[in-house]
Amino acid sequence: MSISTPGGDQRRPSVVSTGKKPAADRPAAGGKPGTGKAGSGRPAGAARPAAGGGKGPRKPLAPVKVSQGRAWGPIALFVAVGVLAAGIIGYGAWAAFQGSKPWEERASGIDGIVNYRKTEPKMVEGGNHVSGSINYPVKPPVAGPHNAAWQNCMGDVYDAPIANEHAVHSLEHGTVWITYRPGLPADQVAKLTEKVQGKEKMMLSPFEGLDKAISLQAWGFQLKVDNADDSRIDEFIRTLRVNASIEGPNANCEQGITATGTTPRNLGEQMPAQQ
Amino acid sequence: MTAPATAETERTTDTPTVDGDGRGAGGRRRFGVLVLALAVVVGLLLGYAGGLLTPRLTRPGDASVEAGFARDMSTHHAQAVGMGLIAFQRATDPEVRQIGVDIATGQQGEMGTMQTWLRSWGLDPTGSQPPMAWMPDGDGLVRNGLMPGMASPEEMAKLRATQGRELDILFLEMMIRHHLGGIHMIDGVLAASAEPDVVRTAQTMKNTQRTDLTNLQAALKRLRG
Repeated sequence: MSISTPGGDQRRPSVVSTGKKPAADRPAAGGKPGTGKAGSGRPAGAARPAAGGGKGPRKPLAPVKVSQGRAWGPIALFVAVGVLAAGIIGYGAWAAFQGSKPWEERASGIDGIVNYRKTEPKMVEGGNHVSGSINYPVKPPVAGPHNAAWQNCMGDVYDAPIANEHAVHSLEHGTVWITYRPGLPADQVAKLTEKVQGKEKMMLSPFEGLDKAISLQAWGFQLKVDNADDSRIDEFIRTLRVNASIEGPNANCEQGITATGTTPRNLGEQMPAQQ
Repeated sequence: MTAPATAETERTTDTPTVDGDGRGAGGRRRFGVLVLALAVVVGLLLGYAGGLLTPRLTRPGDASVEAGFARDMSTHHAQAVGMGLIAFQRATDPEVRQIGVDIATGQQGEMGTMQTWLRSWGLDPTGSQPPMAWMPDGDGLVRNGLMPGMASPEEMAKLRATQGRELDILFLEMMIRHHLGGIHMIDGVLAASAEPDVVRTAQTMKNTQRTDLTNLQAALKRLRG
């Protein structure tokens, strides 16, 4: 169908509307056989019989012979369609490949991220429940044993430090815990709050003694940045929220500790302490 | 392509060698078979690639209505699960406790379904779009990151702190509002999606929440009675 119809003018818009690169080549290539070639062919045809000599009446046939030589229209069309098809298939393959990249691979592509799953595989295996204070080697902690109660992680915004022992349990449930150095300007805190509030598997709290302004934690991963506008924050959240959970996407973030304070509570005493 | 081939064979027939003719014709036939085989192989490969890619290219993408719904409704449901568990644990009225656990387990299950969609579509549980962006005028419905019907942190804190019959009534009021907002979102996806799995599950969600609403309202009337 595409070749047999010589009405190039009709086809061109439909090709253009499908977008993609070949559309740019098409009008140029399609224009040749119709106009340019016929024009350039005629002088060549006229020259040949003249060289041949006495066959005057044959002159009108010459243009027909030239046009038989090579049908540029269909060739250009074939090439264009071929390029288009290759482009579509190539793009599809590329998109499918990109989309199928596992989150672990995308996580390690985040500039500056520390992957404790690689460096400390023992630490990130899973957490025993331990009561009382726990000393974590990494601060803020990213994995390890933790309190039986988790910190409520339903997009909770805590205005004071929380207990590591509860927060680590929230990480195990797939939470991204954003911490910031106390004294971070209010507009920066507001930007972080916006990323957290209303979204389960997210929580925000200040953290004493941070060496950078902001530190993000997911189970086994940490990223420290200087500014709430850093685009890696969103990248970290998108890649690791829920994905980093070692318990899958159905772990609960409600029914946790909603109180602040760095001393862990034991399960039995958490209820009265929550107000 | 055929034009140069014919020219070549014409030339070989011109040369008066005995086997030259036969070899030329055989070569041409072999060449033709080769081209045909190649065409078939290329055709098969293209067909295979097309079949392989089509489901990937046609499944809901990162910014689709379906993905937006699955992500946002998971968040919406997560709060209902929390509220339902509070009612199950501490409400005084037996029916309120029962409704609470029914909603909590039911919606937790639906969250699993929605999370499985995202995984099978090759998408992250977290999107790059703001909440409710998948719904027309949806972002206008978001208040402090909260989707329609969702309780604020203060309201959740109040529900946790409230006791006795007061808790029963507060839970019923909050859950009625939550369900009304939820049904609004479900209507949004039903209006925009043709994905069979999504439509079917959304319709089931709507039926369940409507039945819940009838019972929640009846219970509220009885307790206020």
